[in-house]
Amino acid sequence: MDFMVEAIDLTKRYDDLMAVDSLNIGIKKGEVFGFLGPNGAGKTTSIKMMVGLLRPTSGKVYINGIDVQKIEKGSIGICPQELMLWENLTCKESLNLMADMYEIRKNIRDPRVQKLLNDLFLQEKADTVVSKLSGGMKRRLNLALAVVHEPEVVVLDEPSEGLDPQSRRVLWNYIRSMRDDEGKTVILTTHIMDEADQLSDRIAIIDHGKLIRLDTPEKLKKEIGEGDVVDIKLSDPLRNEDLIHDLEDQKDVISVHEVNGRINIRALNAVGKLPMMMQTVEKLDLRVADISVRQNTLEDVFIELTGTGLRE
Amino acid sequence: MKFISIAVKDFKELVRDRRGLFFILLFPIFFMMIFGFAFGGMGEGNTPHNIAIVNYDQGTINSTSGGNVNYGNNFITALQDANYENSSVKLFNITTTTDSHAKDLLRQRTVDAELIIPANFSNSVAALINNTLQSSTGQTSSVNSSTINNTSTVIISGDTGFMGFGVAQGILVGVLGQYQDDIVNSVNNQIAGTPGAEPTKFIDTKVQSIPGTQNFTQFDFLAPGMIVFAILLLATTVAAILTREVESGTLLRLKMSKMRSFDLLFGGLIPWSLVAGAQVVILLAVAIILGLHWQGSFYSIILAIFIGIIGGVASIALAMIIASFAKTDRQAANLGTLIVVPTSFLTGAFFQLPGVFLNFFGHSFQVYDLLPWTHTLTALRSVLVFGSGWNLVSYEVEMSALLTIILFVIGVFLFSRTRLRAEN
Repeated sequence: MDFMVEAIDLTKRYDDLMAVDSLNIGIKKGEVFGFLGPNGAGKTTSIKMMVGLLRPTSGKVYINGIDVQKIEKGSIGICPQELMLWENLTCKESLNLMADMYEIRKNIRDPRVQKLLNDLFLQEKADTVVSKLSGGMKRRLNLALAVVHEPEVVVLDEPSEGLDPQSRRVLWNYIRSMRDDEGKTVILTTHIMDEADQLSDRIAIIDHGKLIRLDTPEKLKKEIGEGDVVDIKLSDPLRNEDLIHDLEDQKDVISVHEVNGRINIRALNAVGKLPMMMQTVEKLDLRVADISVRQNTLEDVFIELTGTGLRE
Repeated sequence: MKFISIAVKDFKELVRDRRGLFFILLFPIFFMMIFGFAFGGMGEGNTPHNIAIVNYDQGTINSTSGGNVNYGNNFITALQDANYENSSVKLFNITTTTDSHAKDLLRQRTVDAELIIPANFSNSVAALINNTLQSSTGQTSSVNSSTINNTSTVIISGDTGFMGFGVAQGILVGVLGQYQDDIVNSVNNQIAGTPGAEPTKFIDTKVQSIPGTQNFTQFDFLAPGMIVFAILLLATTVAAILTREVESGTLLRLKMSKMRSFDLLFGGLIPWSLVAGAQVVILLAVAIILGLHWQGSFYSIILAIFIGIIGGVASIALAMIIASFAKTDRQAANLGTLIVVPTSFLTGAFFQLPGVFLNFFGHSFQVYDLLPWTHTLTALRSVLVFGSGWNLVSYEVEMSALLTIILFVIGVFLFSRTRLRAEN
């Protein structure tokens, strides 16, 4: 199959640290490809190599069949997780500058910049210097600068970080329109599972520099376990471990994890298993402060695959 | 023409960054003002020297009138009346006081020098008069004993490390010598019975100034140095801005685009070179207000701007080298200051350093001449202070340009290698 972006045995080693370990990924043209992993898992390193900003220790990256080091500049647009903006230029000046750097002619540049400002709700701030924009506006401008030259591949590195729900909606709609209306290939890294779930056609989960899973969100959720999650909060969270230990041994319970002081129990037909779970609680002389049942989410999949330990 | 877009961007960022502009334009002006007030004399080349006089002279009997005469007081009056040549400005501001008070004034540097007139000063002057009379009438036998017994020593006291003392004591010695000569002439004229002409001199000395430099002060030497210092300071600011471009990630954006190293660096050169040219004009104007004895014309301003721009390009090249190694803009500013300040001393911006020579293929040259700004400074001094034209500064300008090109190539190489290539 011909991929828009293809990484073959991509490896990056820093002294004793293996940041990316033989990564093999193929990203199809016109899809939004989610890239998930805990902090330090190797996401940003992988992306930097995939767009040619970082030389791999070994392995190859091809963009539309061409070695990434030999592709024409402008084939890729990057929206980095940090704001990379000229604080003393206005929104319009910044966009015009980047368009000039990609050698876009003025008669094409001007309407394109205008459309971007409209699409990302920055029109009113077109002539405002960046240092006076709000955080959300800066994020949107950060994205606009990455796509002003209309690249075939757009890399969005945690684009929603720190955005309010309204700004996030604007951003998500724009990402969908890039795929649906313009046929662009979008690589999206995020920590917001809801974002990855809603936007991505396929998701790769990497940890410790290795690819753990690669599939559609639906299939990933099914693979990790169909059914529901029972979410219990004990009055005494110090005894969470006692309950986790006893529940893990029970039949039909797929997994039990502590997440943010609460216990997540994943099981098939969870509602039917509730009496059995409550008996265990009573047996241990514990009290339940809160209980709910919900459907399996991508976050459950992520925790299941990467664990709950901090990665900082 | 991507470099024009970069130049426009840099120019807009420059004028909108008020703090940066303040540092680039006003900071050197403050320096110029401090040096102007300290060394300029604010438009007055000749200023009186403050001296304290302690007069111990007890006087003597006038051999002709029989009355008491005090030549010490007479000498003080002569000092008070002395003017600069062809000027109404007095040579000295005199405070007559006690020795201990004079020493206090010296320590405070309120006065440049203390002059102590000894108790037998009048006797010595009287002996000089007698001596002159006797030698004119042929009675030479008693001359020597009279001179030996009545020799007095005028003491000029002061802080020998203080430049003011050095100048004042030189003038005082000259005035004292002139005072003795005037006495001898006066006696000779009285013997001749006419006010008389000056005795014939076979050997004479005359101090001659370079045309236009008669009123020069230390500030005239320093002002072009301050302009070069300001141009050198550009390296600190540009290095910080280049590093900020790396730190903020905007350079990464540009690196991903079709921009070439040439566009970034040449585009950056344009506004910063203009700043260097503007600095020359602004600082020259400030220096003239503060007392620079500028001898140039409109043409020399154009020439000075051209020289300043070459110096500015050299500073930008230095900035690229600094930005190749600095990780943050603060680090770049610190590293820049660490390099720029000693460099400005090496170029001779503030004072002339002792010569350090290197031999290269049988040719001897000054180490400082390896710095482009040394030639910038020499050329600017020549053009702004002495009004020299292209013919007189062409060598310095060409050397400055050649060394700037070498430095620029090194700067572009290092910056491109460390900042514009894919990371390893």
